[in-house]
Amino acid sequence: MRKRRVPYRVAVLIAVVAAGIWIGGMGLFARADESGQAAPAVQQGSRDHEQKSGEQVFMQNCSRCHKPPMTISPRTTGTVAMHMRVRAKLSREDEQALLRYLAP
Amino acid sequence: MKIWLLAGCLLFCTMKVSAQDTDSTHAGYVPVLSGGIGYIENINGGTPTLEPAIVPVALVPLGSHVLGEARGEFVGSFQRRDGNGDYTGQVFSSLDYAQIDWLANTHAILVAGKYITPFGLYDERFVPIWIATFQSTPLTYGIGTRTTGFSVGGQARGVVTQTNHYSVQYAVYYSAHSNASQFQSARTTGFDTSVYLPTHRLEVGTSYQRFLDQKQINSEAAYFSWQPPQVPLNFKGEYDHSYYGQGYWLEAAYMLSQVPVANAFFKNVELAGRMEQSFPLHGGGNGVPGVNTQRPGVALNYYLRDNWRIISSYQRQFTPTRDVNIWNVGFTYRFVWPAWPGRK
Repeated sequence: MRKRRVPYRVAVLIAVVAAGIWIGGMGLFARADESGQAAPAVQQGSRDHEQKSGEQVFMQNCSRCHKPPMTISPRTTGTVAMHMRVRAKLSREDEQALLRYLAP
Repeated sequence: MKIWLLAGCLLFCTMKVSAQDTDSTHAGYVPVLSGGIGYIENINGGTPTLEPAIVPVALVPLGSHVLGEARGEFVGSFQRRDGNGDYTGQVFSSLDYAQIDWLANTHAILVAGKYITPFGLYDERFVPIWIATFQSTPLTYGIGTRTTGFSVGGQARGVVTQTNHYSVQYAVYYSAHSNASQFQSARTTGFDTSVYLPTHRLEVGTSYQRFLDQKQINSEAAYFSWQPPQVPLNFKGEYDHSYYGQGYWLEAAYMLSQVPVANAFFKNVELAGRMEQSFPLHGGGNGVPGVNTQRPGVALNYYLRDNWRIISSYQRQFTPTRDVNIWNVGFTYRFVWPAWPGRK
């Protein structure tokens, strides 16, 4: 009887953790919508260090494989940056710099 | 009671972790439908083949640390009936990869599921139709990517160390033998490592794989990728070696943005050349041509936009028995669409 309850508890635990991750993500993309429509992916003349380093990460890594996109919706930037971090083996610092550049 | 307390703590922690890294940005984490669409007419040795393709990529984030991703392919192959009749053929569908990525920390990304085998430069980066400069895969593509180019198992990848002047990247993996539908793979293990110099935009890397199914063999690759900072040039190349053969491919692509006349037109034109050779060992086979093969070629691509391309290429393939021309003409389109409505 006791053995049967263990998988149930594990399932609940997994569901709760997944819900936490999901809710955390929902909060983030709710904020993203407030910034409006598509943001320019390539900005000329970055003004501060953060933007410049993000631009460098963008130009140095994305262009290794493909032409940089002209526009990208702010709603998708977090997801796309995660995908590119996996593909291009970027560090978390580079991913964050990229996000500050693409969706400041 | 303890389990609920633990669950509550985990819920709180995961919500905090999901949010903390992106507090300073407006980055959104909605599911994304990405991928490419293409239509290519391939003429190989005088035989035309129409190859429409839809390659969707689904990205489903769970917070900012876990990503589910999958890529499918719907590729048609239509040839003239009896050489000069109507076009007939069929559409092939396949699941390229379906994986869960856990972006654990700055050094490690853990991947589980069916993933692209991290061997060499080409398989992971240049296979998608919306990225490839030449639509034909290199002669040595079969080395290190047996049996499907994909693996089923686990992988760790990421950055070993990083400074402003260099970064060292790695991938290690183990793949199980699988005959499950859409999840076929061979039992293999291997690694890939590369050094990237961002100021020079130069990357040099190497891969190793031990094939553990049936006849156990080693495969090795060495590759480079270089985009000189001051010139719109893109050089890349790879040397592959295995029990069944060896060979290389070298590619150079130049965006004609420095042409002083009609710059609005020429800045979107890409001119590329590729040279490749393969040499069989022990009879070749298993993805390696059975005879010495050379294949020089040129490509001319025009970017209508950053995501729309008209593509064309010509390659001449030389073998001891027969020389053929290979033509490719068509277009590719890359898309990135949010697949979930945002909340106001």
